[in-house]
Amino acid sequence: MQAYIPDYRRDLEIRRYPLYVYVLVPLAALVLQAWLPRLVGRFAYMDLPLLVTIYFALNRRSPIHGTVLGAVLGMAQDGLTQGAIGIHGIANTVCGFLSASIGIRIVVENNLIRMFLNFAFTLLSSAIVVFIVRILLGLDWQSNWLDELFRAVGNAVIGLALFPLLDRTQVRD
Amino acid sequence: MESFFSRYRNLVVLLAALLLQVIGLAVQVRKPGPSSGSEPVLAASQKDGRSVRLIRLWAAEMVTPFERAIHGSGQGMTGLWSNYIDLRNIRNQNKELLQTVDRLRLEQATLREDALQGQRLQGLLKFQESYIYKTTAAQVIGTSGSIQNHVIWLDKGSDDGLAQDDAVITPDGIVGKVREAFSHTAQVLMISDQTSGAGVVLETTRIRGILRGNAAGQPQVVNILADQRIQRGEHVLTAGGDQIFPRGLPVGVVERVEQDRERGSFINVIIKPAANLQHLDEVLVITSLQAHLSAQEQADLTTSEELKGAEVAAEAARKKAAAEMAERLPGLTDPNDPNAPKAAAGADAKKADGSQPASGPPLPPVAPKPLQPKHADRFSPGASDSTGSAEDSSDAPATEDGGAKAVTPKPGKPKSANPKPTNPKPTNPKPTNPKQPGGNTAGRLQ
Repeated sequence: MQAYIPDYRRDLEIRRYPLYVYVLVPLAALVLQAWLPRLVGRFAYMDLPLLVTIYFALNRRSPIHGTVLGAVLGMAQDGLTQGAIGIHGIANTVCGFLSASIGIRIVVENNLIRMFLNFAFTLLSSAIVVFIVRILLGLDWQSNWLDELFRAVGNAVIGLALFPLLDRTQVRD
Repeated sequence: MESFFSRYRNLVVLLAALLLQVIGLAVQVRKPGPSSGSEPVLAASQKDGRSVRLIRLWAAEMVTPFERAIHGSGQGMTGLWSNYIDLRNIRNQNKELLQTVDRLRLEQATLREDALQGQRLQGLLKFQESYIYKTTAAQVIGTSGSIQNHVIWLDKGSDDGLAQDDAVITPDGIVGKVREAFSHTAQVLMISDQTSGAGVVLETTRIRGILRGNAAGQPQVVNILADQRIQRGEHVLTAGGDQIFPRGLPVGVVERVEQDRERGSFINVIIKPAANLQHLDEVLVITSLQAHLSAQEQADLTTSEELKGAEVAAEAARKKAAAEMAERLPGLTDPNDPNAPKAAAGADAKKADGSQPASGPPLPPVAPKPLQPKHADRFSPGASDSTGSAEDSSDAPATEDGGAKAVTPKPGKPKSANPKPTNPKPTNPKPTNPKQPGGNTAGRLQ
């Protein structure tokens, strides 16, 4: 009986969402991520697909879900750029997997923890992207770490407002 | 085995996902050729493979319809009020505009004719140049969504005539080039992206370089040797050598000059772009650099050519009338002299050589050569001395009356009928030796 307790606890804490939320929210994140920079220019310090990946991975607490969602959203992001397909895909895959793994172990309803996780995973995503482009692909790619820092801060702030909104869409038993 | 996968299934799924994407990345990176330097080249920056293009197409088809809808609804809302305002006095404006269009069409046809003529001349001189002949206006509906990737998406695609590597501009300056053209959308790589490239030239110093973006998203001219002449505010234009942008389009102005950190003797010239790359709404895509005139434009061009042809015809008629009048006047040439053209040519050659002075005393008229008699006798010119020179034969009629009467072919053009030359110009086709004013024809035979 004791052996099932962790799984039992995890099952209790898994949040479930309607199917349309799994479809519409990532899609809206992609559309807004591509459209909002037209309004705010280069000050679009955010990464909404990454935020959505982190959110669902944390709340679903399934590393497989987090991995698959991160890969799909990241590759869709790559599809909108001129870069190789897989750069953001790998970054979001790793972030999704780690988010779900962390979500099993800690309480993720706390806003401060959410803020910190968003900030840290955004920086991690940037680091992975730079690693892939400069080390794996060997491209002469300059990166502006101040921009990446602002992007991490932006994601942390946006997550404070976005996560409670998404919490309302979950299925309650 | 089953327990291993069930126990580590999360890790297995993660590794599988990462492995697939890494393999995908490896496929997209092209191995550098022997002449392309040591750095690998991203195949995506050249031309996407089929599968990669498919992923991009899916992503575009997934996102751009919503972007188009958002953009369209925003435009519609803002357009409701502005359209109402614009409707006022629209009739008068339309009438004025139609008149302006008619006038501009004729002006455009004239200019196009001049441009075509200039291009023909440049073609003769092997002068490579390209001109903007056709542009397609397109709306910017989205971006890449990434700070590092300066890419925009247009609402027009290959169905509208857009193709890969078409130049994208605004009236202010260049924007970028079409990187991928799908059926209804197109991806544009802006000049501020690090993977872009365009040939540019600094307007004053004529220093050429390659334009590409930096990490901050600013276009910069790279790989330039340090030069003190480059000053802030200097205009930068397209050089036209990249086969994408026509020559002379505005790029921007020099904002500052930075030392290249890796190579000390080189500098990077940071450019403030002429086009507002951060807030682009409408752009023009140059879809043709060759002359493909529409039926209306062709008709305008024909009209313009006919008008100009009428002027040319009137000028030709005037010249023809002047020539006829000149023929009727007493001439200086002997139409019966078979050596006349030769002599004239020789005279021209002499003139060209400078042996004959360009200006000098007026030349005496040349005596016409008499016709050959049907039944020559000893009085006939040249019969007294069959081996005599032409000079003798030409002088014979002047010394003997009977012979002179018999052989004078053209009473209207006697030797003494034109004591003064009617054409004192040095371009006389019969240049003779000025030292022989007696109409010496020796020069004609030489």
